[in-house]
Amino acid sequence: MDEYSDSDWNWDFYEELVDDVDENKNMIQCISCGKCVGDCPASKVTNFNIRKIITKVLRGDKSVLKESDIWYCYLCERCTRVCPKDNINIPLLIINLRNESFKKGYGPQYNDLRKYVEMSKRFLTSGVVVEEPLGDKLPQERIEELDEICNFARIKYVFKASRSNKNRAKRKK
Amino acid sequence: MEFSNLALNLDEIEKKFPDNAIEFFKDKKLCLFKACLEKYFPGVRWGIQDLLEELQLKVETCINQSCCSGTFFQRNLITRAQFAAINERNLNEMNQLADLVLFSCNGCYNSLLRGREFLNNHEVRKKTQEILNQLKEKDNTENYPGKYEILENLNLRLVHDLDFLYLIRNEVLNSLKFDLKNLKVAVHYGCHYLNLSRDKRTAETYLKDKTKLDELVTLFGGNPVDYQEKECCCGWGASQLVIHPKEALKVTLKKLKSAESVNADFMLMPCPTCLYTLSKPEYREKMKKWYGERLDIPTIHLNELIAILRGCEEDRCITLRRKSPRLDEIFEIITQQ
Ligand code: SF4
Ligand code: SF4
Repeated sequence: MDEYSDSDWNWDFYEELVDDVDENKNMIQCISCGKCVGDCPASKVTNFNIRKIITKVLRGDKSVLKESDIWYCYLCERCTRVCPKDNINIPLLIINLRNESFKKGYGPQYNDLRKYVEMSKRFLTSGVVVEEPLGDKLPQERIEELDEICNFARIKYVFKASRSNKNRAKRKK
Repeated sequence: MEFSNLALNLDEIEKKFPDNAIEFFKDKKLCLFKACLEKYFPGVRWGIQDLLEELQLKVETCINQSCCSGTFFQRNLITRAQFAAINERNLNEMNQLADLVLFSCNGCYNSLLRGREFLNNHEVRKKTQEILNQLKEKDNTENYPGKYEILENLNLRLVHDLDFLYLIRNEVLNSLKFDLKNLKVAVHYGCHYLNLSRDKRTAETYLKDKTKLDELVTLFGGNPVDYQEKECCCGWGASQLVIHPKEALKVTLKKLKSAESVNADFMLMPCPTCLYTLSKPEYREKMKKWYGERLDIPTIHLNELIAILRGCEEDRCITLRRKSPRLDEIFEIITQQ
């Protein structure tokens, strides 16, 4: 079983997460049955264990943000389907934890944003993630709207990186 | 304020039109949601578009629709409110021209329902409206009413191609020129079809076994085979193939191998993202290199299969870049007179 004792309960982390994403409150219903782990694709090929992550969060153990585990989830929603409790939204919890991890600066270590440069660029310049859409292109005004919507988002920083890479390449020439 | 589930109420249609669901769609305007990955697999789009046109249903695509942006939300590159704003923009545009939106991709279908679901959170809704207000301020073109509003009572309904094709299965069957010649088919539903709760109205429909794809295979003269990893993920895993390719390809390998082990002739799925993962030659090569196993089982999207069965030209059903001897063989078997 887990290496925690009763005196380890600490709700601060849980409350922070609920403050940020209200839906996280349902996590408290977790009875540690492990059904989610049994059917989880990530657990079949790695040491990823969502039950343990939930337990850690409920004990206020913020080490989950530093460790690589949260980056192995497939966001496949299988766990939500097999969980005997209502509305424990694990994929949303994982996205929330990854966000916190990014904010603390650990995220890029596990999820290298350089891999998304091309896709972010395509989305902000043509509204699709592939080289070109099949059929008509999105009108320019709509593309500008997407750009406006994404202000201050991480995607914008990734996109800027694509432009500075291009400038660097130009200067080299 | 509760944002209702925009998924088309399938049970109601089945009850009202037990044998002729097509009647429900006859006076409806349909819009095909343009999934980005259809660029790689155009047969996924043409397969359904050609069929609907033949059935004389009103069908179009929306020029103002962008990518659903699910990829970026799931990678923590945009916030929930930004994701919801992109979603509302798309919904409002499609609402201008259609009654129903059809999805060829599990990911897009999930995204559009999820964006709406987020609006039930007061904070997210507030931020989403603020973002849309900024767009409104900057826009100086002619607007239709509600363009930048979160519309509480949207008439638009969303339906996955698999659910739609299942509803009108008799008409689909009548439009076919060929049958599946008893081929063994390993069906793959994909996680965001199989595990999705946000499009369901009752716990029963959420939890019960999903069988529509198996049933369609049987109806089309094929033989759906059971296999160990049937309900497992394709391996894409919201970019796990990008973040942890070695582990993710183990998931893909297990899936393909499990289907090969029961001698399936091909694998059938209703999602181009799963298709991409399960068919990409580069991934098959990597599996060979990393795990020493060469897997040849061909993979086909449901819409592509319908195009093949309807006798479309090969290039319109299956992209040339995906050609493989085994896929050619399947095409030959199905289309022989
Ligand atoms: S969503 Fe994540 S935790 Fe849940 S079953 Fe899928 S991979 Fe496992
Ligand atoms: S299945 Fe649900 S209750 Fe059981 S351990 Fe997982 S999250 Fe907790």
